[in-house]
Amino acid sequence: MTCPSRRMALRAALVLPLAVLADRAVAQGGDIARASAFIQQTGQDLVAAINDTRAPLAERRERVAAVLRRAVDIQGVGRFILGRWWRQATPAEQAEYLRLFEETLIRNLSSRFGEYQGVRFSLGRTQQRTEDDVLVNTIIERPSSAPFWMDWRVAEVGGQPRVVDVIAEGTSLRLTQRSEYSSVIQRNNGQVSALLAAMRQQIQQMAAREASGAR
Amino acid sequence: MQRPAPLLAAALGLLLAACATRPPADDPDAVAEFRQNNDPAEPFNRAMLDVHQGIDRAVLIPVARGYRAVVPQPVREGIRNVLGNLRTPVILVNDMLQGEPRRAGDTLGRFVINTTLGLGGIFDVAATRFDVHGHTEDFGQTFARWGIGEGPYLFIPILGPSNPRDLTGSVADVAADPLTWFGQGVAVNALTGSRAGLTVVHTRETLLDPLERLERDSLDYYATLRSIYRQRRQAEIANRLDGAAGAAASGTGFGVGNQGR
Repeated sequence: MTCPSRRMALRAALVLPLAVLADRAVAQGGDIARASAFIQQTGQDLVAAINDTRAPLAERRERVAAVLRRAVDIQGVGRFILGRWWRQATPAEQAEYLRLFEETLIRNLSSRFGEYQGVRFSLGRTQQRTEDDVLVNTIIERPSSAPFWMDWRVAEVGGQPRVVDVIAEGTSLRLTQRSEYSSVIQRNNGQVSALLAAMRQQIQQMAAREASGAR
Repeated sequence: MQRPAPLLAAALGLLLAACATRPPADDPDAVAEFRQNNDPAEPFNRAMLDVHQGIDRAVLIPVARGYRAVVPQPVREGIRNVLGNLRTPVILVNDMLQGEPRRAGDTLGRFVINTTLGLGGIFDVAATRFDVHGHTEDFGQTFARWGIGEGPYLFIPILGPSNPRDLTGSVADVAADPLTWFGQGVAVNALTGSRAGLTVVHTRETLLDPLERLERDSLDYYATLRSIYRQRRQAEIANRLDGAAGAAASGTGFGVGNQGR
């Protein structure tokens, strides 16, 4: 006859891992649902700001900026993109870089208000869990151009879902930008300041386009 | 498309002469990035991008603009479909070589439907009526699936971003195309030539806006193109781009994989 406590221990040993697995599956399902809802909300906020043609340009830009500051892990993504040069930059350069990076992100969108007029946004076919984040698939539709898929990589940052990357046509924005920025620094003898100068100039160009392209 | 062999030989000669300096071993981050970029011939490749852009601005862009101005959008759509349909035999061969019977079935079905009901491929009825959408394959992707490495990054004028594997792949694509070997004589040569020329012009037209924007928005156009090409190729090889809409507006890869969707 088997000892009951041993049987219980055996049962516990069998059931416990299953319970842990089930628990993790629930957590992952929850993650996916949470990330999808987060992207849905973020996308709607952005689309609303872009399509609100009655508001003055500066106000629309400020609305887009507020959404991006809330939704994107600007610190984390910025540091990832600067990569190995982050440690070589002075604290002043690091701070200036993050400021310019944020500005670039915002102006990149606001300089395209005209182009994105009438944009529509919806959740796509699949949402999947990867090792440490969730990929949320969306469809971006614009009048008079073909719709395209865009994946948003959502990670938990400080307990909150945050966008850490966008992927279109198999291309990750943060990987491409990392390659681009690193190349600029490298071709200027490892000077981070050269990148900062190039970013400043780029922001000016975007601001000019924004002013001319806006309705 | 005919590939100018002498140009290639000259380019390879130059390639050996112009190699990027490898970073010193005591800078592990720099070495890691050097490996990651996979571009030991970067100075040569940058020079080739300059050559390409010279030709592009002088010839390809004006011709592509003219094509856009003269040929209305629905006709361009028909041309795209015909060119895509003509590419299906090569896609089919590669589907089979990759051991993808389902995808091969899709490709074969599309060819039969579009060639007949689609009036020689002008209309993509397979996609619009039968919901069988096209995908692209080429020998470069097949070689990758067979485990052959890409080799160092290369930029080839007119052809665009590539590498030894994909370059060999595009030669194999031409060789595997039944139309390469079909018949002879002036009429056939003229048709083959027109198809090659039209493919270049049409592809360049679809890329006019994306590439212009990319060059304008990038702080280092060369590095951006390289990164996008390599990422896109990986996605294509893994068949992750299937069903992605707006494929014509791909960021780069002029020449590779743009037809046949």
